[in-house]
Amino acid sequence: MESSIKERDKKNYNYLWQIPKFIVPLVLIIIWVVVSKLELLKPIFLPTPLNMFEAFVGMQKILPNAILTTVVMTLTGFSIGVAFGTASGLIMAYSKIVRETMGTIFDFLRPVPVFALIPLFILWFGIGRAPQIALIALGTSVILGVTTLEAIRNVPTIYIRAALTLGANRQRIYSTVIVPYIIPHLIGAIRVAAAASWGLDVAAEFMGSQQGLGYLIILQQTYLRTAGIILLVVIYSVLALITDTIIASIESRITRWTERRTSIGVVASIVGSK
Amino acid sequence: MEESVPKTSHIERDIIIQIEHLDFWYLEGENIIEDFHISIHDQEFISIVGVSGCGKSTLLNIVAGLLPPSKGRVLLRGKEIKHPGSDRAMVFQDDAVFPWYTVRQNVEYGLKIKKFTPKERSNLTDHYLNLVGLKDSQNLFPRQLSGGMRKRVDVARAVATKPDVLLMDEPFAALDVLTKERLQTEFLNIWNNNRITVIFVTHDLEEAIYLSDRVVVMSFQPGRVKRVVEVPFSRPRDKDLKTTLAFQNIRRDLGHDLIKIEV
Repeated sequence: MESSIKERDKKNYNYLWQIPKFIVPLVLIIIWVVVSKLELLKPIFLPTPLNMFEAFVGMQKILPNAILTTVVMTLTGFSIGVAFGTASGLIMAYSKIVRETMGTIFDFLRPVPVFALIPLFILWFGIGRAPQIALIALGTSVILGVTTLEAIRNVPTIYIRAALTLGANRQRIYSTVIVPYIIPHLIGAIRVAAAASWGLDVAAEFMGSQQGLGYLIILQQTYLRTAGIILLVVIYSVLALITDTIIASIESRITRWTERRTSIGVVASIVGSK
Repeated sequence: MEESVPKTSHIERDIIIQIEHLDFWYLEGENIIEDFHISIHDQEFISIVGVSGCGKSTLLNIVAGLLPPSKGRVLLRGKEIKHPGSDRAMVFQDDAVFPWYTVRQNVEYGLKIKKFTPKERSNLTDHYLNLVGLKDSQNLFPRQLSGGMRKRVDVARAVATKPDVLLMDEPFAALDVLTKERLQTEFLNIWNNNRITVIFVTHDLEEAIYLSDRVVVMSFQPGRVKRVVEVPFSRPRDKDLKTTLAFQNIRRDLGHDLIKIEV
């Protein structure tokens, strides 16, 4: 039954509906070219397409290394943060002792804006990779920790009651009922955390990195090279887009068992299905 | 508490569940269940009927060990019940089949907790899948099944752990009438060949009479044992039993009891 829905979707692939996707970017590019040609804005505010190309050529040699540094640092911090955040959410829900002892401190520290810790981290840890990764990890773990805890609280009690009457103990209920149930609910938080980790990385690199994309942005800024800055921002966006797409494709595989929304019919049009 | 002329066949068997002068309240002074007292025998099929809100589901949850009694106790083979366990498996009205597991993994769930070898477990799982006719659907996920099929998974999963008592809380109430009647007959067939003690809660009088050896009428606010009726029909029971005069007489009788309660 599912393959015939896919076939029907292919047939309905309305070429007309593809046009709106390109209209906005196209219009923006046209405006950009026109403004540049007519020199309506100073290049320091809006570089011309030629400036952009020159900037790219100028950075070609150092770009690959910078991208590698940034990607490694961000993904490391992101992974640590997701693992730590999810684990702490689970532990807080599972153990009353942990909840009572650590709960208040976590509640107190959670709202602190992570960016505000940057000067403190510099004083404490100096300049280096570790504090930067720690910053990213901290920021993402807060997102995951809260979501995990809330997701656990929303597990329908009937599944827990059923498991109990089948002889499951607390530990088995967590591993066979609670964890499988919350995984689809965590995917949304993971996507948000991924996007946030790129932002955290920029901030972290402003803390004194000597190598990554964020460092290059600062460098470009000191030389007033707007074109370079915009180029680097675009690269960040592309990286964020790639990670988001990867996570989204994993999501569809993991949530196979949930009540799937169809892509046809009135319901689909209301909830914005593809 | 009145009992009509007793049929001796089940009374001679051991008492498996003893509900002893059970009280239950959420707020002191407002008893939901009051002095509920009954003995249930091995392999007996007993139903508890009552109007909505009379406390019959609460009673079942107490027997399951999910709620503690406020006063009195429930004994399983002489031992007081304090926690839930697989010796009292329960089938709920709502869908409790785990959506993240396949049909087979669901039925296997209770078996994994017990110490079986993988081969033993596999054989048992096959046996119970066949019992409810779901062998061919064993690798499907619950979202791909109809309500009736999911209910069968529920039942197979519960009986697979070989509980001492099977607790059923209006298990077929959420199904359409045709599926419900089919599942009643199917379940009765399964039960006939695999005798087990069943405590069945329902508001459907005909369902109760058709399935059970005894029917307990539970009063409303507070919930007490109002009346216990022996069902005189021998087994196996014909599915057209419901239309016979004798059946309808009993049904009418019980119906009057329930109307008295509501007024």
